[in-house]
Amino acid sequence: MEACQVARKQDLPPPGGYKPIPYKRVPAKTFFSGYTMFAGYLGITAAAAYLYYKNYKQITKDQIEMRSAKMAIFPMLMAERDRAFLKQLRRNREAERELMKDVPGWEVGTYYGEKVYNLLPPDTLVEPIYHEYYAHSRPYEWYQRAYLKLRS
Amino acid sequence: MVVSMDVHLPEDSELTVNEVNLSTSTLLAGAFHLGKYCENANNEFMLCRMEEKDPRKCINEGKAVTACTMEFFRKVKKSCLDEFNQYSNCVDKSSGDYSLKHCRKTQGVFDKCVFEKLNIERPAFGYFCEARVHDSKRPKPLEEPKAVYPDATPALPEDADKKPARFGSRFYWMTE
Repeated sequence: MEACQVARKQDLPPPGGYKPIPYKRVPAKTFFSGYTMFAGYLGITAAAAYLYYKNYKQITKDQIEMRSAKMAIFPMLMAERDRAFLKQLRRNREAERELMKDVPGWEVGTYYGEKVYNLLPPDTLVEPIYHEYYAHSRPYEWYQRAYLKLRS
Repeated sequence: MVVSMDVHLPEDSELTVNEVNLSTSTLLAGAFHLGKYCENANNEFMLCRMEEKDPRKCINEGKAVTACTMEFFRKVKKSCLDEFNQYSNCVDKSSGDYSLKHCRKTQGVFDKCVFEKLNIERPAFGYFCEARVHDSKRPKPLEEPKAVYPDATPALPEDADKKPARFGSRFYWMTE
């Protein structure tokens, strides 16, 4: 029993007592008051809107100018395109006639004499679809034209 | 192909003219003065093209447009070649989309030269985007007449007996 009689030290508060528990809120430092923030938001938005408006005007003007320039040269390009298109149609028709001359009963521009468009007058020019237009060309040319956007 | 032998296509000799062999930047640089110079031919051609909706019927108008364009660029080449080359070079190399807004200085020089030598003024802003009225001598194409079907069901005669409906309106909440 002697061994158990060690002087025990009681766990007590430090001299002067515990520090107070910091339960109070520590708010972040406020740089602006609410009113200032609202005013700042409105101010910045107004300034940005003004700049946006100016830029929008400028872009619209530039677009109109470019459109004007393109419309001015459009008739010339269209005339050139029409002539090339008609020449190519004739070439295509000749190619088809040459290609199908050994097939009995085949008529150019029809399916064995059956017309594609029955109600149109016979001398109506129907623009062929893209694949027909390029049917007799090399695949490379077809590809070049079809994916012009991707290549330029 | 849908184009059969009945469709009349013009011969190649009718379609072969001197084409305008110029690059995009050159055309765009001269576009405004070109449009003003060839306004009549352009309007005539575009009116024909939009009314007839057939490239075969507007070949002569198209040739006139191309001839006018050639004439304009020949005149520019004779009188304002340096200014024009400077301007089109600027349009070509200043941006990726041939934007005209980067080249105001060279444009001013070119405008001045064209105005002095050829007496063509740059048209007002947005001139070619506006709707234009063109008085053409070409007769207007006939409108497609209304289709008449001989086997259509005949209409009621004018003096047919029109009794009131037996069940009121046909609206679903009013029937019965």
